[in-house]
Amino acid sequence: MNFWMRANMFFRSFFLQAGWNYVKYQNLGFAFVMLPFLQRLYKQDPGAFPTVLQRYLDTFNTHPVMSSFCYGAMAKQEEAIASTQSIAEYKEKVFEWTETRRALSITAASIGDRLFWGTIKPLTLLIAVLLWILLGVNFFETQNTYEPASWVLWIAPIFIFTLYNALAWFVRWKGIKISYSADPSSCFGLTYFDWNKTIYWLKKIGVIFTILMILFAIGSYLSTVEEFNLQFAVHTILISFFVLFSFITHRLKIPNVYLYLTTVIIFTVVCLF
Amino acid sequence: MMSTTLLLSAMAALLELDTTYVFQTLVSRPLVAGPIFGLLTGDVMAGIQIGVFAELLGADISPLGGVIPPSGVVATVIPLALHQTGIELYFGFFIGIAAALLYSHIDAYLRKTRFTWLVYLEIKIAKSPRVIWHTLCANLLLSALVTFVFVSLTIWLSTWAILAVFPYLTPKIHLAFQLAYLAVPWIGLAALLPVFRLKTR
Repeated sequence: MNFWMRANMFFRSFFLQAGWNYVKYQNLGFAFVMLPFLQRLYKQDPGAFPTVLQRYLDTFNTHPVMSSFCYGAMAKQEEAIASTQSIAEYKEKVFEWTETRRALSITAASIGDRLFWGTIKPLTLLIAVLLWILLGVNFFETQNTYEPASWVLWIAPIFIFTLYNALAWFVRWKGIKISYSADPSSCFGLTYFDWNKTIYWLKKIGVIFTILMILFAIGSYLSTVEEFNLQFAVHTILISFFVLFSFITHRLKIPNVYLYLTTVIIFTVVCLF
Repeated sequence: MMSTTLLLSAMAALLELDTTYVFQTLVSRPLVAGPIFGLLTGDVMAGIQIGVFAELLGADISPLGGVIPPSGVVATVIPLALHQTGIELYFGFFIGIAAALLYSHIDAYLRKTRFTWLVYLEIKIAKSPRVIWHTLCANLLLSALVTFVFVSLTIWLSTWAILAVFPYLTPKIHLAFQLAYLAVPWIGLAALLPVFRLKTR
């Protein structure tokens, strides 16, 4: 696989989920990413092409960033299928290809979900919020009169956007290269990085940042109080109650958006009577 | 007002594509989309606040498997569009979150119906691979169009409805919405601790 083919697959990988559906998930996108490689591989055998493409249109579902590890591995396996000499060997290689696709997509999805959705995304949220706080932007106050400089407002979103995409694009690009050249014993290059260790340390940083944020929020809340009266006590009790309640709803797997909507309704009813 | 609504809806339709269908650069996350919509409505600070609150509130839902989280773009654009007409952020945020939940159901419906014509298209694709490109483009166009119509209608209807009931909203109702809005960052921060729970190793 040359540089231009890899660049083509890399660019097309951004469209993996463009045909997302509930039955075969990312099958259209997967076929779209692999199409230029398959067209070049089967240039001399156009009769075989529809059957080959049909295999790529079967169910496929993985994490969009980590999917790069599937493209390289599938391309390598497809080359082995294209060079088979007998029907028995062909069937054996197709079976291997199918099993590899299934196993690799599940493993890549598991890593991607934990790393990108479960760790890097919330961590970049905390980084942006802490960055704004350090630059004096306090969004805990609903009636904010402070007007910071425009670069202060934009630095946090630009920074986290660049940080997230630098990591994601690096994995996308490297994944195709590594999985194409790696052998099956290394899980097609998936063991090239220590994903568990990376996730472990990033989550530890996330816990520290979250505690820092909570401490700042408490400090900011107390600093806005002019006197400790009944209104302050009621506010504090209500907020504490809903924070504790959010831990219960989390255990019951009820998303916070429903808790918020319920909070509005309860508060409206309480305030009316 | 009308031109800004159309501009915001067009921007929301483009950004919403980034959530799932193309690129996934996370330019569509509320933290980034908020300031962009804030810039378009003339209040970047409000955009940042809505962005942070929406992102904290949705921090406990990830798009794993077939799960469709409430749209961060819809949750951000609606309150800011309403804020521009003079409606308080705490009212707009409530409508934005409710609309984002509704939008996720519409998106789920689109994804379900997509398969009904996928069977027919797969046969065509096997014959002519160029059809994949056309199919993906049609999908993207349809999704963008649905978002555009949904956001425009929601902004128009909710502005009309709130302005109609506004004289009847007592200070107590304002206080209720304000209190619930103030609780959002606390609920969100509390949700982040379980998100970073160490399950590996």
